[in-house]
Amino acid sequence: MQAKTLKQELENIAGQSNVIDDENILKQYSQDQSFVAPGKPDMVVFVESVEQIQKVVKLANKTLTPVTPYSSGKNLHGATIPEHGGLILNMSRMKKILEINTEDWFAIVEPGVTYRQLQDTLSRQGYRVMVPYGIVPERSVLSSYLERDPVLASPSFENGNSLILDTELVLPDGELFRTGNWATGGRPGAPNGPIRNTIYRLWTGAQGTLGILTKMGVQIEPLPKAGKIFFIPFQNLSEAIEPIKKIQGKEIGTECFLINSFNLAAVFTEEWEIPETFPAAISASPEFDKARQLLPPWTLIICINGPLRRTEEKTAYETEALKDLCNVLKIDIYESLPDIPEAEVTMLAEMLRPWKALKKFNYKGSVHDLTFKAPLNRLTKLDKTLQDLAQAHGYPLADIGIFLLPLERARAIHCEFDLHCAHSDKREKEKVKALWLQASSSLINSGAYFDRPYGPWAEMIYSRASNYTSMLKKLKSEIDPNNILNPGKLCFGVT
Amino acid sequence: MQRNNKRSIPAKLTPEVYKALEDIVGTEYVSEDRAVVECYSKFSVDSSGALKKHAKDPSNIPACIVLPANTREVQAVVHVCNRFKVQFIAFSNGMISFSGPTTPEPTVCVHTSRMNRVLEIDENNLTARLEAFADYAQLQADAMKRGLWNGGSPLATTLCKLSSQSAFAGIWQTDHKYGTLSRNIVSIKLVTPTGDILITGSDTVSGMDTFWEYGPGPDLFSLVRGSGGTTGIITEIVVKLHTWPGGPELPEPEAGRPCIQTYTEAKYDTGSPPKHHKPLWVEFPDFETELKALAEIGHAGIGIGLNATGVYNSYYCSQTQEMTLERVKEKFFPPYNCYLILSAIISEKQIDYEEKVCRDIIKEVGGTFLSETYKPEVLDALAPWNLDFVRHVTGFRMNRHAYGASIILGGPITTVAHKTREVWTKSIDTFGETYITDRGGMDDTPFLYSSNHNGRFWLTEADAYPDMTNPELLQKSQALVTSGIVNTIAHQYGPGANGLGVSIEPVTSFFPEVGPNAHHLFRKIRNLFDPNGLCAPGRQVFSKTEYDNFPDDVLADLNKMRQMHGLSTIKKEK
Repeated sequence: MQAKTLKQELENIAGQSNVIDDENILKQYSQDQSFVAPGKPDMVVFVESVEQIQKVVKLANKTLTPVTPYSSGKNLHGATIPEHGGLILNMSRMKKILEINTEDWFAIVEPGVTYRQLQDTLSRQGYRVMVPYGIVPERSVLSSYLERDPVLASPSFENGNSLILDTELVLPDGELFRTGNWATGGRPGAPNGPIRNTIYRLWTGAQGTLGILTKMGVQIEPLPKAGKIFFIPFQNLSEAIEPIKKIQGKEIGTECFLINSFNLAAVFTEEWEIPETFPAAISASPEFDKARQLLPPWTLIICINGPLRRTEEKTAYETEALKDLCNVLKIDIYESLPDIPEAEVTMLAEMLRPWKALKKFNYKGSVHDLTFKAPLNRLTKLDKTLQDLAQAHGYPLADIGIFLLPLERARAIHCEFDLHCAHSDKREKEKVKALWLQASSSLINSGAYFDRPYGPWAEMIYSRASNYTSMLKKLKSEIDPNNILNPGKLCFGVT
Repeated sequence: MQRNNKRSIPAKLTPEVYKALEDIVGTEYVSEDRAVVECYSKFSVDSSGALKKHAKDPSNIPACIVLPANTREVQAVVHVCNRFKVQFIAFSNGMISFSGPTTPEPTVCVHTSRMNRVLEIDENNLTARLEAFADYAQLQADAMKRGLWNGGSPLATTLCKLSSQSAFAGIWQTDHKYGTLSRNIVSIKLVTPTGDILITGSDTVSGMDTFWEYGPGPDLFSLVRGSGGTTGIITEIVVKLHTWPGGPELPEPEAGRPCIQTYTEAKYDTGSPPKHHKPLWVEFPDFETELKALAEIGHAGIGIGLNATGVYNSYYCSQTQEMTLERVKEKFFPPYNCYLILSAIISEKQIDYEEKVCRDIIKEVGGTFLSETYKPEVLDALAPWNLDFVRHVTGFRMNRHAYGASIILGGPITTVAHKTREVWTKSIDTFGETYITDRGGMDDTPFLYSSNHNGRFWLTEADAYPDMTNPELLQKSQALVTSGIVNTIAHQYGPGANGLGVSIEPVTSFFPEVGPNAHHLFRKIRNLFDPNGLCAPGRQVFSKTEYDNFPDDVLADLNKMRQMHGLSTIKKEK
């Protein structure tokens, strides 16, 4: 089918004004702030219903046109860059919060619902959704959960839990499929089934290559009645390992993370705004420079929440247990930071809306993270690996931002090591890219597990997992024989 | 009852295949002796299998049993089966209906009993690596020494194997905090139906530690978890470990348990709870109060286990069948109840706090704590639970009579509890009960398990207990449960066959309402794993040929059931 005919067909489905082939607009979809190579779509289709999505996917199969699902475009890791052209299926206008159920604690969201939108709506009713640290507030909740962005409460919240409940999706052949209690069309509220009990997980971490999620039930919970922040400073990373293990082993606190002075200083820099576009505008800040000098190299931040019942008693015994443990471990613990006024107030607010972490983008405009999972006892080695490489590449060690989040009581650590560069400075960008690529490879060699292999990480990881990769490829060709959905991503490159 | 004198002759393997299997495992680990294969055809929860016995239908008798020693031997066995196009099934304890051959064709039964080691307890990554036949008791004994545990124990006893329980979902009594087994698996090593090895999670990437369950990229384990053994044979499983404050040893009754033959005195059946744990039992005046209390306690985020056990207490906590019946008839145990298990993980004050919260809720909602002053004899009788919520041993008392089949629904507490009662009542009203305890769930509470943090969703259960020697009652048991399943689907109560989300044929293929048309997707997935159709064929999803060959008379029966619940009849798709 000729391009013109395809456009007409799409207009018939989505309406004339919702099919865009303007070159300037297409260019905006061709890249993000990541190092993933640009790829321009042929058209962008704005859809507003699941029926339209089904029709577009069926048409794409008929015309062998690649389809890249797009909800908010705030993945920042290249997941929505169309490697093989075709259509951008833009679902950002599907932004209805279809239900908030305060009796059974869930919300139903469409793909375009953002964290800011959902959190604001929920908090007005006394509830909250679990949010990843430093997530773009305009990021789609559905896409973020689907891509397994770890939420700030991951130390405690994912223990035996998943935040995803029922889902609705369009399969690569355009057929509709539902999981959980929705599988028979009934009321939502439980994730199991159909046929395989956690089948919904197949579509997680898939970057839209195996189906397009159109609706999701997510867990919510009441806002804590009280919250208390604690700061534990460390001079180096190795000192923090045992305390993290012990504190998490005791299951103290809801939120807990370790952050280095660069990233923590960015949070407290009042001179910086939270950027809305990425890459962001560069903004020098003496306040930031000063803060990162004043802060300890590493800070472990723990939030103890008070539930609705017997709030004081709960926070009291948990606080006592934490302080007792710190005594035993001979480490200092603080309820505020001496050089940062009201640091505990800022941090407590971040537990609900952790957007201030994004201020780090002001430093050089773009941030290239190395995001992976690692066992706790490998962290120091991985940190050293990156430091050595940064030194070899002439990258300033002080400009590495680090955020470490214990998952499931520190069974694993979600690691984000940030490299900064000015997006418009081609020379610097190439330099940082070279470091980023070599660091990715070296970290993987040292045991860093990139479980969500975006961009160049895919080849590095899948080349080490031949049987798994082979099964994934077979699965893809079985359920998406025309290779329509987001071709080229993960291990699904055209061969 | 007329005696059936027909001879039951199971299918046999060709000598060539048998020899090939002997060459892999050695002559002592393969057998086609009738006395041996017969043992592998009797399962604990299997009305249809028992009916086959009555009909002298040999199709659930394997052609041979093979006992491989390791993954390599399992692979070799599977390769032989593929070479000779012989079907095979995995077998561990045989404690559920999934275990048997699925067609009259000769079937190799791969019994994993020689692969029974706990390979590693990793205190750094909080994981345990087990071979296929290692059980909960072994795992707990090893992990608890190190202040860790896996987070639960199934009601079907701690002799269950984690690898095979993952074929279903794995309900534990402490799902409230830890979730079901299906949410506690870090990695598996699977011999696929074609003999390849599939490893999942971080373990699949060379050079990585075993510590993270997802990826890389899409979660392929979601295709294996709950597949009823149709995606291959799990030879190793890595599960999560959690903090265990209960000490390295569990308290034991003086006489030990439960192996003494004259085991009828309750005093031999009770121990104290593990250290730093406290169970609380509450009686409620009615079903609505029970549900309200469970919802509130669940949302309060307290405790590690929160369940209502209803009529089943009469089995679990009675030392003889006579005692069970007497207690059911007398309603000795409160018909509406729950237990909450408190654990001092953070500090002893955690138990104090959580008990106060629980007592606040009961005061607000209604209900009475069983105690030394209120029904102490009932609290005493419930003492087997003191340990059983952690390391379950009394579940098999349900088999003292017979445990035929169940309906299991899932969802938010109030909805799912009412629906379970409605579905089960309709089944019993339509077909009648097979035994007095079938009325559990309609005359009293169904079994209710909080399956998720903060009691967001629950699993429920109602069971049939037919006399296995009576084919009519077995058929009635099947009708009760099938009706329950169809009713569930027809009224959009859940994902299909049960709240665990796992279904087996013919429910998978003849209910296009589920998914919708979930069987289309899963047929592709089956083709992906098992292109030769040899691994427990037809058990979970039919191939096109199996679907086409499905007997018309059975489909007609299913259609009657569909019509009874307001669904239209269906014809086979062309």
